[in-house]
Amino acid sequence: MEVRKNGFYPVIFLTLIVFISIAALTVTNAVTKDKIELAKKDEIAEMLSTLFPEMEGFTYDEKGDLYTPLAKQQPLGHAFMAEISGYSGAISILVGLEPDTTLRGIRIISQQETPGLGARIAESFFLQQFPGLAMDDIELTRKGGKVDAITGATISSSAVVEGVRKALLEKLDQLRRET
Amino acid sequence: MHSFTKNFLKGIIRSNPTFILLLGLCPTLAVSTSLDNAVGMAAAFIFVLLASNIIISLIRNYVPVRVRIPVFIVIIATLVTIVDLILQGFIPALSKSLGMYIPLIVVNCIILGRAEAFASRNNTTNSIADALGMGVGFAWAIVLISLIRQLLGTGALDLFGHHLFTVPGLADNPVTIFLLPMGAFFAIGVLLALFRWMGVSTGE
Repeated sequence: MEVRKNGFYPVIFLTLIVFISIAALTVTNAVTKDKIELAKKDEIAEMLSTLFPEMEGFTYDEKGDLYTPLAKQQPLGHAFMAEISGYSGAISILVGLEPDTTLRGIRIISQQETPGLGARIAESFFLQQFPGLAMDDIELTRKGGKVDAITGATISSSAVVEGVRKALLEKLDQLRRET
Repeated sequence: MHSFTKNFLKGIIRSNPTFILLLGLCPTLAVSTSLDNAVGMAAAFIFVLLASNIIISLIRNYVPVRVRIPVFIVIIATLVTIVDLILQGFIPALSKSLGMYIPLIVVNCIILGRAEAFASRNNTTNSIADALGMGVGFAWAIVLISLIRQLLGTGALDLFGHHLFTVPGLADNPVTIFLLPMGAFFAIGVLLALFRWMGVSTGE
């Protein structure tokens, strides 16, 4: 009882609580860290395999931020991530390229667009417009490209198109420099 | 046991955190765009509220009054971070669709409100009853709002990838405004009016 009258008691108590909290979080982090890494890697592998169904594994070049899906030790092409801000928050897009660098297709890795409107950018009817598009065609139809926007989600649609085109320009440049 | 039942039941209707106390409306409005999100949010919320009520009621006699709010916040933030990490590791899909709203449970005023108003003044058994009652109250409220929004906004109901049913006619021409933030206000406004009209008044 004496100790609680001490003016430092609140400080000591709060410090103690913070230390217990740190201990609890350290333990949780240690337990979940590998699981989280694994879940992220699994997700990328799964997305890559929808673009490259014959894929058996993949390598990741950290410096160039480039994924290379492999089958029988042979590269099937390239893939990389494109980030752009959509209608509400960031959209991450996985872009796949054929070995000759034509566009193989895209997949939406994460987005926070409006469900039922902008979130439909992740659906196949929208994504299937991308394979084989030339650089100049990666633009909404009303701006002279070959991608139809989703009704009611022009901002989300054009964000995807912009993101893919910008990232593609950058990566093609990078690939050309490397070879 | 009588007080246990009483403390449990009050959160469900009479002191419902969403419809009567009007607490924690921000996550309720933001996450109720789909049934999946509502169920996931409710589960994470019940876990955090239950754990925080138990811990706070256990240490209530030792917490210095002057630093009680920082103490409560540290405890709640720790619990939320644990939930966030576990979801990321074990249910990544749900963690992704709830996104920012899991970390935001920290500042959900229902949890801090129950810590301050109930758990810090009552024993552990009653605090568990209070947490479960408030948790269920929040859960049915957010599920009901998301049900209305998903049904009117998309014309169909899905739960964790299973298609439940489609409303003929509505699916081709859905009222998409209900999926937007303003739709959340429409839904909750009408529900609040309904509660007032039925004569449910503040219990506390």
